[in-house]
Amino acid sequence: MRAIKKTIPHIFLMGYLLIILYPFLFVVFSSFKTNNQDIASNPFGLPGSISFDNYVNAWVNAKISTYFLNSLYIGILAACVSILFAAMLSFAVTRMRYNKISAIVFQLILLGMLIPNNSLLLPIYGIMRKLDILDTHMALILPYVANAIPFSVVILAAFMRSLPGEIEEAAVIDGLSSAGLFARIIIPLTIPAIVTVFIINFLGNWNEFLLANYFLSNDALKTLPVGMVGFRDAYNTNYAQMSAGIVFSVVPVMIIYAILQEQIIEGVTAGSVKG
Amino acid sequence: MNKALRNPLIYVLFILPAFILFLAFFIYPVFTAVNNSFTSWNGISKNVHYIGFDNYVQAFNDLAFWKSVRNNVYFILFSCFIQVPLIIIFSLLIANVKRFKGLYKTAVFMPSIMSTAVIGILWGFIYNPDFGLANEVLGLFGVSPVYWLSDKNWAMISILITNAWQWTGFYIVMVLAAILSIPKELDEAAAIDGATGFQRATKITLPLIMPIVSVVIMLSIAGAMKAADIVLVMTKGGPAGSTDVMATYMIRYAITSFRHGFGNSIAVLIFVFTIIITVLYQVLIAKRTERIEY
Repeated sequence: MRAIKKTIPHIFLMGYLLIILYPFLFVVFSSFKTNNQDIASNPFGLPGSISFDNYVNAWVNAKISTYFLNSLYIGILAACVSILFAAMLSFAVTRMRYNKISAIVFQLILLGMLIPNNSLLLPIYGIMRKLDILDTHMALILPYVANAIPFSVVILAAFMRSLPGEIEEAAVIDGLSSAGLFARIIIPLTIPAIVTVFIINFLGNWNEFLLANYFLSNDALKTLPVGMVGFRDAYNTNYAQMSAGIVFSVVPVMIIYAILQEQIIEGVTAGSVKG
Repeated sequence: MNKALRNPLIYVLFILPAFILFLAFFIYPVFTAVNNSFTSWNGISKNVHYIGFDNYVQAFNDLAFWKSVRNNVYFILFSCFIQVPLIIIFSLLIANVKRFKGLYKTAVFMPSIMSTAVIGILWGFIYNPDFGLANEVLGLFGVSPVYWLSDKNWAMISILITNAWQWTGFYIVMVLAAILSIPKELDEAAAIDGATGFQRATKITLPLIMPIVSVVIMLSIAGAMKAADIVLVMTKGGPAGSTDVMATYMIRYAITSFRHGFGNSIAVLIFVFTIIITVLYQVLIAKRTERIEY
């Protein structure tokens, strides 16, 4: 009786896991099948033989490699810049002695988390056109950096507030200026929070679709989500090849997640609760 | 000490880069959106005509606009009345199992880190009427194939299911963290007093996690108002506008038919509706679920 009682929750939870995981398995199986007929006749089963043709075709012909590298470089660059700016602001606001101004600046930045960002798509499009950088990677990097700032500030400022003041006092007595304090004391101590924020920002940039879809038209500049949608529209009769494309765009994120899942979960939940 | 940390030049230099970007990409766009919403601007030409509230009047008189509002409401209702109960049930189940807890927690979160666009493509394939997984599973039970994304009775619900598939795990992890932070003694004391597992879940755990459930509802409302990429990728708002949300309606007018001024008025409406719902929710419901200290 007790054993039965213990397995009932697992039955429900395993059912849920199946719903979460099976779609991925379905796509992986399909990616090894030779054509639509093959998928239709045997949708659940393993492919007859393992052939990487679909992967080679997707990577080479469909330029998944280009999109992949674009996403990687935009994602990393924007995440690094937003962390640098957010860390500088957080340091000034939490550790420097200007309490009244700091409180106002901090509250203003938090306001950014309330603004639904896709309603700003059109004005930002206008800004990009005025700056004449539409259809360059800058058109994505600038808004990505700006978008990540409120969340990054919330996390980094909370972390910096928890640092004890004695270390700073000692460093100041040893002759460090405030800029030196930031670079040599605060940043090294904040690394754990920085890593978390970096991953969250990077994933956000890697996954972003709306801006990337409307601000870039040159095919060689497109990011992975946009490239994948274009790829689907072009090859939407070849589901085997499309599946290979999906695998390419999902696997890197899964690898990052497998390695860093603790930090990702912690960062995302902390950010959303505090926001 | 004070001298080093009271250097006004450094203070300003450190705040400026982030602050300028913030003003340029959050504050300034809000003002230009409001300003442009009163114009008939096409987004390109030099001369701009102010037309007062005409754009808003036109939006309110457009049946397609209200259809898109209704679909945003479906997003909200689906998450509040279907997703939230599921989130609570699965969180309680995961919190109370001894084995595989880590596996469940890790796996359920996975879809939330994936690109919405790619998930839209993946589920588009699953919903494929001829060889998609959804109809194959239905076939096992002898149900005839459904044209998930091209039938206007099914397209919206198909998108809601995909959206729920992506985000349910994200919220489960949040609620789970709240459950696991409740001191064990409370539960043990109730167990000694003879409370059943079900009683303990509903009388002790549930009231204690209401604040976080409230946050989850808030976040899903905000998410529902933002929904756009999943619709664009899966149906582009079709068939016949049956899956349009406010954001895709806005994009269609502003970018595809060059009615920039009108698009901006929709952007302002998205913003205003979001604030109204948020404030209403805070005043009517969230206030009653006060924070509980252990």
